[in-house]
Amino acid sequence: MNVQQVHATGFRNIGRLELDLPREGAIFLGPNGQGKTNLLEAIYYPVLFRSLRSARDTELIRHGESGFRVRLDLTDPTGPRSIEAGFLAAGRRKRVAVDGAEPARMNDALGVWLAVAFLPSDVALISGGASERRQFLDRALALSDPRYLRNLRHYRAAIEQRNAALRKGDAPSAAAFDPLVARYGAPVIAARLAWAERCGPAWRDVCATLGEPMAVSFAYRGRPELVDPDAWPAALADARGRDLATAATSVGPHRDDLTLSLGQVPLRVAGSTGQQRTAAIALKLVEWDTLAEASGSPPALLLDDVFAELDRDRQDRLAARLLHTPGCQVLVTAPRPDELPDALHLPVFDVIRGEVTRRTAPRAA
Amino acid sequence: MAAIEDLVGELSKLPGIGRKTAQRLTYHLLQQPRERMNRLARVLDTVAERVASCPECGNFCEGERCAICSDSRRDGSVLCVVEEASAVGQVERSTTYKGRYLVLGGRLSPLEGVGPEQLRIGLLRHRVGAGEVREVILATNPSLEGEATATFVHQLLAGMGVRVSRLARGLPVGGDLEYIDGVTLSHALEARQEVP
Repeated sequence: MNVQQVHATGFRNIGRLELDLPREGAIFLGPNGQGKTNLLEAIYYPVLFRSLRSARDTELIRHGESGFRVRLDLTDPTGPRSIEAGFLAAGRRKRVAVDGAEPARMNDALGVWLAVAFLPSDVALISGGASERRQFLDRALALSDPRYLRNLRHYRAAIEQRNAALRKGDAPSAAAFDPLVARYGAPVIAARLAWAERCGPAWRDVCATLGEPMAVSFAYRGRPELVDPDAWPAALADARGRDLATAATSVGPHRDDLTLSLGQVPLRVAGSTGQQRTAAIALKLVEWDTLAEASGSPPALLLDDVFAELDRDRQDRLAARLLHTPGCQVLVTAPRPDELPDALHLPVFDVIRGEVTRRTAPRAA
Repeated sequence: MAAIEDLVGELSKLPGIGRKTAQRLTYHLLQQPRERMNRLARVLDTVAERVASCPECGNFCEGERCAICSDSRRDGSVLCVVEEASAVGQVERSTTYKGRYLVLGGRLSPLEGVGPEQLRIGLLRHRVGAGEVREVILATNPSLEGEATATFVHQLLAGMGVRVSRLARGLPVGGDLEYIDGVTLSHALEARQEVP
């Protein structure tokens, strides 16, 4: 599935935009602060119906506007489709429409439009804390399977209630939430473990394709025995004293991590900036594979300044990989054309003060 | 005007009523004959005056005890535990239940400051401890908090010599498998029964 047309109003610095996008993708060029990332953020918004950059909806509204609206006209093997999201500051009302009709629940609109985005800040997937990697796993799995999202939401709600009881020192109330924590936590761990087992080799291969000569690997760090809900009562009972003392639940997928290694050493410690960036991009490409497999249709790739900090060889390899991802619409931003590898032949657009225009002259001109 | 504002403010405190609806209701009331307004005020006053919680089950009642607790034909060996008084009417609609009730007055939700001490847990323990009750039916809602409340009550009653059961979750009568969500269907599969 890819975007044929973007309609956006009042989004960040975009006043009013009607943009036709080529099927294969596009390059967006422009100096810093002109709205290239805003454009990708607008296109990504109807994936999760929230900001790619974890901004609040009110922060996405263009100065002086009452709200924003994004509509994507999509091409799909089954025919034309559309997805739309709007937000009004007054009453903080969010409206979502799929093919022109409002779904019963916003969840029903998840998965209709799929894209994978890479921002320069995504290097935190490698260099940052465990929560970055959990968020990555949760997004990929939730978009692949609505059951994962449902289990995760129930799990988080049960953990919040349990922790609230622990903060009050109310052990019996905390224990009343234990069976729910187990019921919803077990399938979350099972899905993450299955993903890690399936995608570990894929990530290693992508890293190699992108020019990483050293052996990389990842492993899910958690308690695999907790895939069985019956294993939870003993684990929670063991942790009860500690949990009451710290007023937080210490067992469960909300504490797990994905350990990424370069040789035997954590990539976070041993990897150079370029290696960490390569590894983060590779994770995003594996996310793309996950979503493509689950949905049966190639998602779009939205890559913000992705070639920066990569050496020429890695840039060329990434360009080759992008151009050989079948059916994938690739939208790339860069401040200057010379920061892009020569092999990346895609139509070029200029982004200036939130306005986007297609170039007729070649990229380097 | 202060009087109008007061009424809007009071109405908007009611569940499911926002400020706009409260304003609409207020202006609707202001257009009614004065007698109608007075009648509403009297009814509210009477309800506040006469309706209290039944000391035996926590349901609302106008006398010393509620109609169900006063009814000697009800089976005192079965106790149905519900979250709110409104659920009593729902269970009564089944027409097959002939036991008695205990209204907890809420559900366990530590996030909202509702712990066991905010619920009628003491009354429940007292009722079960009195000896007549043989079975407790947990009829809390199938929500996260309702289920935790059921677990809490179940753990509380362990060792008190009563049978504890939970309302079944599954397919609605007259429903169509095609329209049943996956979670309900998986509950229905778990709670499947052998055909007699």
